[in-house]
Amino acid sequence: MDHRSLPPSITRRDVLKASGAVVAAGLVGGASLLAPETARAQTPKRGGTLRLTVISDPVTGFDPHQTISFVTMVPLSFVYSRLVKVKAGPSVKPGTYPIEPDLAESWTQPDDKTYVFKLKKGVRWHPKPPVNGRELTADDVKYTYDRFLTIAGNGNKPVLESIDRIDALDKHTVKFTLKEPNAWFLDMLASTSTWIIAKECVEKFGDLKKAESVVGTGPWMLERWEPNVRLLYVRNPNYFVPGLPYADSVDMIIDKDPSSRLATWLAGKTDFGPEYQQVVRRLDLAVAKQRKPGLQTAEYPWFTSGATGFKIDKPPFNDVRVRRALSRATSLAEIFESNAFSRGHWVPNPAVPAASAEWSIPIDQLGPEGRKLYEYSTADAKRLLAEAGYPNGFKTQVETPSTAYGPDFLDSVQVTIKNWKDAGIDAELKMKEYGAFISTTIYGKFDHMYLGLRGAWTDPEAYFYRPYMPGQPLNVLNVNDPKLTDMITLQRRTFDVPKRKQIVYDIQRYLAEQGLFGVNGSVKVVSAWDPYIKNFMPNNGFDFGGRLMAVWIDK
Amino acid sequence: MGGAAVPRVRNYVLRRLIVAIPSLLIASVIVFVLPRLIPGDVVQLMLEEKAYGKDLEDLRAKLGLDRPIPVQYAVWIGKIARGDLGESLWTRRPVIGELARRLPVTLTLGGMAIAVAILVGIPIGIVSAVRQDGVLDFFGRSAAILGLSIPGFVQAIVVILLPAIWWGWTPLQRFVELSQDPAGYLLQFILPAIILGVASAAGIMRLTRGMLLEVLRQDYVRTAWAKGLRERVVVLKHSLKNAIIPVVTVLGLQVAQVAGGAVIIETIFGLPGMGQFLVDSIIQRDYPVIQGINLLVVVIIVATNLVVDLTYAAIDPRIRY
Repeated sequence: MDHRSLPPSITRRDVLKASGAVVAAGLVGGASLLAPETARAQTPKRGGTLRLTVISDPVTGFDPHQTISFVTMVPLSFVYSRLVKVKAGPSVKPGTYPIEPDLAESWTQPDDKTYVFKLKKGVRWHPKPPVNGRELTADDVKYTYDRFLTIAGNGNKPVLESIDRIDALDKHTVKFTLKEPNAWFLDMLASTSTWIIAKECVEKFGDLKKAESVVGTGPWMLERWEPNVRLLYVRNPNYFVPGLPYADSVDMIIDKDPSSRLATWLAGKTDFGPEYQQVVRRLDLAVAKQRKPGLQTAEYPWFTSGATGFKIDKPPFNDVRVRRALSRATSLAEIFESNAFSRGHWVPNPAVPAASAEWSIPIDQLGPEGRKLYEYSTADAKRLLAEAGYPNGFKTQVETPSTAYGPDFLDSVQVTIKNWKDAGIDAELKMKEYGAFISTTIYGKFDHMYLGLRGAWTDPEAYFYRPYMPGQPLNVLNVNDPKLTDMITLQRRTFDVPKRKQIVYDIQRYLAEQGLFGVNGSVKVVSAWDPYIKNFMPNNGFDFGGRLMAVWIDK
Repeated sequence: MGGAAVPRVRNYVLRRLIVAIPSLLIASVIVFVLPRLIPGDVVQLMLEEKAYGKDLEDLRAKLGLDRPIPVQYAVWIGKIARGDLGESLWTRRPVIGELARRLPVTLTLGGMAIAVAILVGIPIGIVSAVRQDGVLDFFGRSAAILGLSIPGFVQAIVVILLPAIWWGWTPLQRFVELSQDPAGYLLQFILPAIILGVASAAGIMRLTRGMLLEVLRQDYVRTAWAKGLRERVVVLKHSLKNAIIPVVTVLGLQVAQVAGGAVIIETIFGLPGMGQFLVDSIIQRDYPVIQGINLLVVVIIVATNLVVDLTYAAIDPRIRY
């Protein structure tokens, strides 16, 4: 993909700087979602149906406060809005996540712990019962986030846990007071779990799990859900961005089988690549290009990557040399060579995945010991083990989920274990059913090691705050390192972005130095869309609706 | 069966139904307890990797999963007695409604697959037996071996994917509701039913051939030939009836095999039936759904076996109840 013609992305920092406080109203409107070159070259066409496949039904129901799953959040991205959102469109380079207003017209930050948002006026809910198109107010925002923080079973609560109180100052003004400064607060508000919901729906249906309760302010309305078949959306006639969305409707076909998803796309029955985030496996790319001349593609690193856990308070993993040996013995190149999505196209990940292009430290900027982790060498791994008192290696056990992550993951596990064995680390594989893995291993109930996946979060802080901050439930390695804790606390209080970035880089250097994670990488995926689909650019994250609302069909 | 046989059959059916009650109760305990013995917990699955301890406890209490298992069982069985299978823990949709929507899809697919098995397997089995070691027998047996050897999911993927790669065409279509288009509804099942029925047809063919060959060597058949009866009468009237009882028994057992195969075929062809629903519910530990589906399957299997037993008498008048 050639990014030379792309204008520079508008970052969160740019928005903050816009007026000392923030005035961002000028960014709003359909035209802002078009790349200037694209807008000049073509006039958007209204109408038609966007057709795409998703890999799972929203089996968890539609209540955004009762699940964390993408199978719910992706369908909701077509229907709901947030105060702020991650900008979408061809002007946004995949792997960057600039923030722009959604329901907010502007916001100010009077002090480190206070944010005041002015809402756009005249925003109306979908013209569906029980809300029937009434105007959105600050009370809706307060109601949403009060429910978000207090309802039992909201696994996304940590996203907004820094909020102390929310006040609706008037019909269109809402104030957030935080417990402590949090420089990531806007990024967290832009998460795809913070959809603004209507009180009337909760009161009528008891919760928001049923399809009838899905009433938002977003670009499309959920017209019909046929379980295991499709989700059909139609244009919201009252959408607050004039002229959008361009497509009349969206037909989201639910198809769990990769072969039939591919066949459906190749046969012209859908418009986008068949996998998650409109990706086409590199294994299928040549066939797709042959069948679809002029196919448009974009390549970028996926957030998802491998995750290695080990008990650092027990031998042998309490010795940093053993942890380093584990990484040195792992051949990432071999792992990604056979993967159907990557076929050798991948990027190494430090603690913050490379998919977070602005916050992930380049490997060559790690310290000397950190850089070495990524240099595969069985001989060096053996030497490190010998120095740690294991000249003949050692036996251990590694837990991994049996099916849920797919065959490519299981292949990578096999390759990893083979690599380790070459260095003398004899890891016995203990397969666990996914439910058992989630309910035990992922919460730290494992004896030696585990191999899994990570990558559900798009905010970079999650990758070091949750696994390494004392007291966090996902700190399953029981890390309690005062130096690390101080750095994590400090970055959260540092609003100056370059300074915060340096601290985040230092955290990643320190984590690599200490070998507190096993080296891993991410696939450089290829998203693909048909030649007649215009003004689309993929990115990481669940906001499919946000990325499709300014897309038009040129047939 | 004559007129006197009717009360006997009625009594037999009543006895079988009464015997089925404790069977169903035992099955209900098993389908209730077993899912709870699988490691993993629905609440932790719902919240995946992002939950706090108190959240887990709160949600468990909200779903009624914090009560003792016997209490939960008593509540569930009480609801069953009132015709209520409960609600999905994930979607809050009534299980009975979900089953009512999905059962016809699976029954249609399964019914058509069994029909394929009968319509293909039995005639080829007869021809193979009658023309033993001939060209037709050779092709029939080869086809049966092929049908047994290639798993249904491979056949399905080949049928779906290769035309898409070669010609940009696929037989897949969006699921059509019966109420929208009855003909389209049935048409969409033909290909998956053929693929699902092929393995069963192969088994039925081999069994029919084997049983018929055995019967054709019996003395009474030789007598029939000696009397100068036509081949059709000897084979279909005198021989097949005696050969078919094991085939009918196996057909009853095929219901379970077809139900298992339907899980994969429904997924590949995008048919919103019960197979896919059951797999999802097991993965998600959606206990009310697992219990509801399994209980229904138990009822169907009990009913199928009853029908098979009754069919014996229709085929062979010597069988009495």
